[in-house]
Amino acid sequence: MTNGGSLLPIIALLPFLGALVPGLMIRAGRNACATFTAVPTIAALAMLGVLTPDVMAGEVLKAEIEWLPQLGLSASFFLDGLGLLFAFMILGVGLLITLYARFYLSGDDPMGQFYTYLLLFQGAMLGIVISDNILLLLIFWELTSLSSFLLIGYWKHLPEGRQGARMALAVTGSGGLAMIAGMLILGNIVGSYNLTDILAAGDVIRASDWYLPALILILLGAFTKSAQFPFHFWLPHAMAAPTPVSAYLHSATMVKAGVFLMARMWPALAGTDAWFYIVSITGLITMVLGALIALFKDDLKALLAFSTVSHLGLLTMLLGFGTEKAAIAAVFHIINHLTFKAALFMTAGIVDHETHTRDIKRLGGLAKFMPITALIGTVAALSMAGIPLFNGFLSKELMLEEAAHTAWYQNDWIVPALATLGALLSVAYSLRFIFHVFAGPARDDYPAHPHDPPFGMYAAPALLCVLVVAIGVLPGLAYPMVKVAAQAVTGQELNFYLKIWHGVTPALIMSIIAVVGGALLLGLHRPLARAWNAAPRPEAKAIFDALISALVRLSRGVTDGLHNGAISRYLAIFVVSTVGLVYVAFSGGTLSPPTREMLPVPPVVAVGYVLLIASALLVVLNHHNRFRALVLIGVIGLMISAGFVYLSAPDLALTQISVETVTIMLLLLALHFLPKTTPRESSVGLRLRDGVIAVAAGAGVAALAMVFLLRDFDPISDYHLANSYEGGGGTNVVNVILVDFRGYDTFGEIIVLGIAGLTIFALMEALLSGPAARRLRNTDYSRDRSRDRHPLMMVVATRAMLPIAVMVGVYIFLRGHNQPGGGFVAGLVISIALLMQYMASGFGWTQTRQRLEYHTMIGWGVLIAALTGVGAWLGGAPFLTSIYGYIKLPLIEKFGLGSAFAFDLGVFLTVLGAVMLMLYSLSRIARYAGETVNVEPMDYDPSGKRELKKPEGE
Amino acid sequence: MIQADLNIILPEIVLSVFAMSALVGTVYTAKDRAAGLLTWVTAGVLALVALWIGLTGEGVNVAFGGMFHDDAFARFAKVTILLSAAVVLVMSQDYMARRGMLRFEYPVLVTLSAVGMMMMVSAGDLIALYMGLELQSLALYVVASLRRDSMKSTEAGLKYFILGALSSGLLLYGASLIYGFAGTTLFSGIIGAAGDGQAPLGLLFGLVFMIAGLAFKVSAVPFHMWTPDVYEGSPTPVTAFFATAPKVAAMALFARVMHDAFGGVSNDWGQIVSLLAVLSMFLGAIAAIGQTNIKRLMAFSSIAHMGYAMIGLAAGTALGVEAMLIYMAIYVTMNIGTFAFIMSMEKDGKPVTDISALNMYAKREPGRALAMLVLMFSLAGVPPMLGFFAKLGVWRAALDADMVWLVVASAVASAIGAFYYLRIVYYMYFGEEGETLETGRAPVLWVCLMGSAAVMVLGIINLFGIEGAAAAAAATLVN
Repeated sequence: MTNGGSLLPIIALLPFLGALVPGLMIRAGRNACATFTAVPTIAALAMLGVLTPDVMAGEVLKAEIEWLPQLGLSASFFLDGLGLLFAFMILGVGLLITLYARFYLSGDDPMGQFYTYLLLFQGAMLGIVISDNILLLLIFWELTSLSSFLLIGYWKHLPEGRQGARMALAVTGSGGLAMIAGMLILGNIVGSYNLTDILAAGDVIRASDWYLPALILILLGAFTKSAQFPFHFWLPHAMAAPTPVSAYLHSATMVKAGVFLMARMWPALAGTDAWFYIVSITGLITMVLGALIALFKDDLKALLAFSTVSHLGLLTMLLGFGTEKAAIAAVFHIINHLTFKAALFMTAGIVDHETHTRDIKRLGGLAKFMPITALIGTVAALSMAGIPLFNGFLSKELMLEEAAHTAWYQNDWIVPALATLGALLSVAYSLRFIFHVFAGPARDDYPAHPHDPPFGMYAAPALLCVLVVAIGVLPGLAYPMVKVAAQAVTGQELNFYLKIWHGVTPALIMSIIAVVGGALLLGLHRPLARAWNAAPRPEAKAIFDALISALVRLSRGVTDGLHNGAISRYLAIFVVSTVGLVYVAFSGGTLSPPTREMLPVPPVVAVGYVLLIASALLVVLNHHNRFRALVLIGVIGLMISAGFVYLSAPDLALTQISVETVTIMLLLLALHFLPKTTPRESSVGLRLRDGVIAVAAGAGVAALAMVFLLRDFDPISDYHLANSYEGGGGTNVVNVILVDFRGYDTFGEIIVLGIAGLTIFALMEALLSGPAARRLRNTDYSRDRSRDRHPLMMVVATRAMLPIAVMVGVYIFLRGHNQPGGGFVAGLVISIALLMQYMASGFGWTQTRQRLEYHTMIGWGVLIAALTGVGAWLGGAPFLTSIYGYIKLPLIEKFGLGSAFAFDLGVFLTVLGAVMLMLYSLSRIARYAGETVNVEPMDYDPSGKRELKKPEGE
Repeated sequence: MIQADLNIILPEIVLSVFAMSALVGTVYTAKDRAAGLLTWVTAGVLALVALWIGLTGEGVNVAFGGMFHDDAFARFAKVTILLSAAVVLVMSQDYMARRGMLRFEYPVLVTLSAVGMMMMVSAGDLIALYMGLELQSLALYVVASLRRDSMKSTEAGLKYFILGALSSGLLLYGASLIYGFAGTTLFSGIIGAAGDGQAPLGLLFGLVFMIAGLAFKVSAVPFHMWTPDVYEGSPTPVTAFFATAPKVAAMALFARVMHDAFGGVSNDWGQIVSLLAVLSMFLGAIAAIGQTNIKRLMAFSSIAHMGYAMIGLAAGTALGVEAMLIYMAIYVTMNIGTFAFIMSMEKDGKPVTDISALNMYAKREPGRALAMLVLMFSLAGVPPMLGFFAKLGVWRAALDADMVWLVVASAVASAIGAFYYLRIVYYMYFGEEGETLETGRAPVLWVCLMGSAAVMVLGIINLFGIEGAAAAAAATLVN
């Protein structure tokens, strides 16, 4: 058993290896290509022949090769009766097609390419039928889609071929992807990806909750592949491919893959109501519909294509019945359909090849010109019609017999009736194939003069016709094969006979009705066809196209709705999603009860709160007026500072107030160069939407804060409270955190601040050398210029305040380590004092009195801070470890001095430098825009003794 | 102590020093004239560092008190990131030079963002996470608007920046909630505070905000809004970069935070992540159908792919992480090949991004068309290309974690998504006769395209053995 099985991987690999050869020897000529294509096929057939006796004896041959075990994938193969039957079909017909194509294709077509694709396809098909691992099966499955795509599209110059290839690929490819999921679920239920294990675990599978999804997904794959309703439309459109391809793919192999899969999965999936109704209804509809359309097709290949659809439906229906007899009938019909349909396709190809048309209306009477072809075609077509003594009759009888006693929902006449109708239509189009092509009077308007082709071309269909008749007369010939395959499908020992005469059974009566009715129908074909062509009917391709364009519209709708390019919409979606997610988290979690009481609200706090809310609202309402908005933002900032004061956070309050002041002042200066109002661009609805979103997000954050405030948890402040004096040498915890515990952060922050100052400077430089400078030049600011730009009162006051403010700054700086204050605030306070000088007397005047280079100041600040940190290394401590000690200066009290002091100095210098640099940049722009430069501190001399120098323009 | 710490982050230090010295060195010397050379040198350095990390790193090394982890997971991600960044740099050079937008800052910025990504995947602490994330993002904001004279490019950069700032804000908000609740920023401490089974609500809020921020970085729906605009607006090499290394880094960071800091409560985040995954897969698949610009199409494709990768994350198991890592490695390789092709698409010397330009391309360039066919099939996840194995891995992991519905949903999404990949193939092989598309010139792009396609086919033999490394990586993350 093992020695036999070891041939399987070689058989599977042979076509792929063989595929390389014709591709490499494109120039070697048609005969060489065909020969080298035949060699691997023949070799594989021979090996299969070696294995046949074992399989016939009921053995299941296996071979397994490790391949990516962690994915559950192994290259394992097995061969039982069903696999053997299909393998013979694939290889046998492959060989015949190779021969046929050698004569069919013209010398201009690239032969090597064609044969390479053909062998690739053959290998993929072979892989499907002998794979043991379902993942491996899936790989081969999609490989058939891929290689058939290449084969169908082989004649690229036909626009028909293009559409067909695309549709075939889209339908079967997508179905295959759906099937992957189904297979994975199946593997998950069973706990193994080996087909043999899965087939043995049918009861577990059918009992599983996931049986139905798995079934539907797998059937999607099978139905799309086998062109079952409503996916039947792709098959006829794929017929634009060269006829050898149609004959191979669409009669014998690829479309049978779906049927094969259903047969393969029969023990695992069949036997439930879901299987019975889904599969048998689909099959029956497909059978009748396909036959009906076939009858009215004028294109020979389209007729055959729809007849294939119909016969596939028949097979699907039989498998769907789920009975053993139906399975036998299905297996038998697979063989019979293969023989007559492949022969018919090749016949159609010969007709096309010789007469240069496939339009039935332009044909007829060909029997006179090409008698051999006519004979072959007639035999095959009679078999398709189900006439006794041809093999199609036998399996059709079996099918009708099964249909005769199958009931749907207790209704026992609908299945037999529809099955008879299908058979009747089948007879009609089969006879049409004979009478409208070969019989009838000879015509003289064929596009080309018809005659029989060379032997090589009709050898293959002739051989098939021999089989048709042989099986038809002596069904016992096919018996062993049918038996062993049907046993593999059902997984049970079967005893049955195949014979021509069963006596007068319901099936025979139905068959007679079908033949007679079919002949009558053909007689009425002309008026019926007129009615058919006039009747409105859904065109599957149009539906497919409509579906696609609907999908595209949906897609456009989605993208236009979501991605309209407006960032406000993106932000809205972003915020809404976050709020939604948080809500989901909130509703999913459990909230511990609050541990804190609400505090009473003193009136002062209430006033402050109302002010805060009111100004926030007013900002929203007034934001178009920039100046007003700025003032309101100032109010908010001050209220927050007041809040910090109230909650005993003087450090934060100090910092907030000074930062607030500096920013508002700088913004005020910057506002000068901007339009006074912003444009209104959003509609009311949009603003309403944004309002709702903002309120939702804001309320969410407020609720979140509330939840946290009402509960106790371990605060992290205890650690800092305990360690700030010992570790950092300061009693002001905030400052110690800033310069010691989190010294790195602060160090980083001052660097960022310095860079920000420098960036503003750099941007200003770029601005003034760019196109914006012209606009600035031409702006007229004279209108809003005050006549007394440097008022006396302000000049005097700021002058007097300067030393005091500086003193305050120094004071704040020095006390910083133990009391609220520090380098940052000190830097801001002194910046404010200086800013006031500039505001009072103008930039030019002040600049001449204060000659510090701001860039250097920032640099020094950062440098001092860095050196302080590095200093710690000298003491063997990590970067920025602070040292602390006391020194006693004369006249002053004992004085604590830490290395943090120097660090703070660095912070101070950087802050001061950065703020002043920003101011400098703003004033540069102002001067550029036509602002004059003062040389005197104010516009009027208060003493009136001398004429003041006029300001200079730049 | 500090010596040992510095040794562990030596690769990062080397790259940072290289980036800064390259920047300063070039500013004061040749400037843009040296850009081409610098690009190649940078690519070489990145590749060398990748080799260094990949070949010499072993064990789990923790630096700076747990803030930085050098383990198999980080190394896997780093090697992927560095190699893809190096390849993208090499691909960019010719494209950008010919269009006069190759600036010497470009390789420097790419290096800096790579350093940021290395920080991200090694982060063992919220602060380290944020540092890495921002270093990466800031560099990316700038490269997105590299073409300062192009409206689209600057708009892309600005949009990316504004939305990125919002996402960073959310992330920080979440981080501070977590810090407030757990009392530490170290992942090892947070996982203790989060406990097993169900996280306290406060932490859960923090977690949700973190996920929102991280989802933005991996461009998961509904935080994906920036992706199509940025992909379309940025210069194509930059888009290629966006589609590769940063995605790996963001996914790896996502996995690290979820498993290292919240490994005990995988139920809580598993559901959110699978919701994001499903949304991403479907939106990616459906929205891509209507696209005619191939760069925009690839943006939606990347959104969908992130959805598939997130399935592995949602599974919350070691198998899931392993599958996710393999997915990302394969995804990056596919994207490099695809973008190599997109970069080579031009007409009269001007770049073309419209799909219809591909009409009947196979007739003129059968080799390249075949490579693209392989890549598109692989992106669609059609067997037997490597892309199928990537999907198979995450599906297996999800099934293993009993998330069958997730597999079914993603299979449906992939069936829909296959359509637009196949449409590209269709245009190339059966499109209508139209104007001719030129592709050619740059041999580097040809090598990348063909190499990537070859990997998609040959990789099925044994995945080049990466699944062993991925399994080891996953084992260090999930335990």
